[in-house]
Amino acid sequence: MISTLIIIFFERRLREGTKIVLGIESTAHTFGVGIVSSDGRILANENKVYRPSKGGIHPREAAQHHSRVAPEILRTSISKAGVSLSELDGIAFSVGPGLGPCLRTGATIARTLALSLNKPLIAVNHGVAHIEIGRLVTGCRDPVVLYVAGGNTLVAAFNAGRYRIFGETLDIAAGNCLDTFGIKAGIGPMPMPEVVAEKAKSFVQLPYAVKGMDVSFSGLLTAALLKLKQGVALEDVCYGLTETVYSMLTEVTERAVAYTAKNEILVVGGLARSKRLKGMLDTMARERGAKVYTIPDEYAGDNGAMIAWNGILHLMFGMVVDVEDSRIKPRMRIDETEVRWFR
Amino acid sequence: MLRLGEPTAIIRLGAEATIYALNWNGMELIAKRRVPKSYRHPLLDKEIRMQRTVSEARIISEAKKYGVACPVIILVDLEDATIYMQRIRGIEARDIIGNLNQEDLSKLARRVGVLTGMLHNGGIAHGDLTLSNVIVDEQMNPYLVDFGLATFTKDIEEFAVDIHLLDRSLQSTHYNVKDGFMQCFLEGYRTVMGDMLNDVLKKVKDIESRGRYVEREMRKR
Repeated sequence: MISTLIIIFFERRLREGTKIVLGIESTAHTFGVGIVSSDGRILANENKVYRPSKGGIHPREAAQHHSRVAPEILRTSISKAGVSLSELDGIAFSVGPGLGPCLRTGATIARTLALSLNKPLIAVNHGVAHIEIGRLVTGCRDPVVLYVAGGNTLVAAFNAGRYRIFGETLDIAAGNCLDTFGIKAGIGPMPMPEVVAEKAKSFVQLPYAVKGMDVSFSGLLTAALLKLKQGVALEDVCYGLTETVYSMLTEVTERAVAYTAKNEILVVGGLARSKRLKGMLDTMARERGAKVYTIPDEYAGDNGAMIAWNGILHLMFGMVVDVEDSRIKPRMRIDETEVRWFR
Repeated sequence: MLRLGEPTAIIRLGAEATIYALNWNGMELIAKRRVPKSYRHPLLDKEIRMQRTVSEARIISEAKKYGVACPVIILVDLEDATIYMQRIRGIEARDIIGNLNQEDLSKLARRVGVLTGMLHNGGIAHGDLTLSNVIVDEQMNPYLVDFGLATFTKDIEEFAVDIHLLDRSLQSTHYNVKDGFMQCFLEGYRTVMGDMLNDVLKKVKDIESRGRYVEREMRKR
């Protein structure tokens, strides 16, 4: 006990001037707490994912899950980070976009902590947090970002103070399309459709919907399910579906790379774990003289560390909020947030 | 080697297509070739390239039917996903409008407005209406080029996107003449579109307030 205290004491001394922020993630199925210091060290990243017994995420049940696991996750992350609550310099939380009940749960915990500990409250844009953790851990500087997850699909790049959206989905997210297909086909969500696709014998053509810079997946999902109903082999439909989704994503990313003349590509979000998507992007990037940076699995999906790290960036530029102004924004867009820290 | 001869130069290397210059029977042509992408499945790749080639060629000839000044199509080579068309000799509007006097500028803007109106009136949205896609010849006649993102549509929102994009492209490169240009543009546009103009302008306001489409201005050639 005493030795731990001494270590904590010295560590604290060593990083004099560094700030520490605790971040709470609760936009969808993940409740996470991360603790990160301003020198970019991730001291803790504890996450628990709500897994529905069947079907997709039910917002209310997910929120109940979050409030149930929150105390334990908070406790473990604090003990893993080896900091005391009083040492924190701020409390950050995902203010949006996400599912209302889930966001509210995280926001309530964050407000309570901030008020009771008398620490600044920091409202973080979940999408921007995905990008910033990606830049931190991969070391890329000014990338075209492909943000692909269960709830979001967009291509963005920094310009004039914000991450500007180049293209995005006009209906459902790419991850949602693949997850829903997997669940309805009885194999389960990602990565199952991609795993099953490896056994495919032939390529099934499905509608490919790229409109300029935007993509659309709902028609593709319907068509894939229809093929299944018509008796086409599951492996082949999985193959056609994953290939089509990834090709669409690669195409809009390529357009953004060509337009901006940037030479870095950063893939973030849960679907960044896909090997096939990464492979396609690599092929495209090689032909364009660009480089693909993929975020490690640990930080690909939703996690607390990304919120904490973005909280640090906000804090350094005085971007804190009063509790009265900390209302959640379920439909928040990535370009609503001023990215003052970008260099 | 392209079907109609050896290319003399590469004019533009886009994300999707490469544009070559060539001479054919004494005519200056360009060949817009949608290049195969090795990242996607060959079947899918072929399908996409063919489909888009057909669609672009159809839109250009449809636009011609409505009297829109745009390239004449010479040949469509589906196998190779290549469109051979007339090369419009001139200068991109964005490189010229900074050097025009007030009168020429107004005249040009009005003509671009008329062209856009004819296009929209015919049920076609250009999809990428920036000053780089307006070519101006020696007699100051504007031509619309690059229909790669164009669509057949009656949706006012799509028309509004065209006007919004044009406005944005002026804002970034020719801020000082923007208001004058847009005013004359809309005068020309109204001569074709009539009272529909008001509906379109309402949508433009809508789009601006959403703060999207800004990003396309990041385009560096």
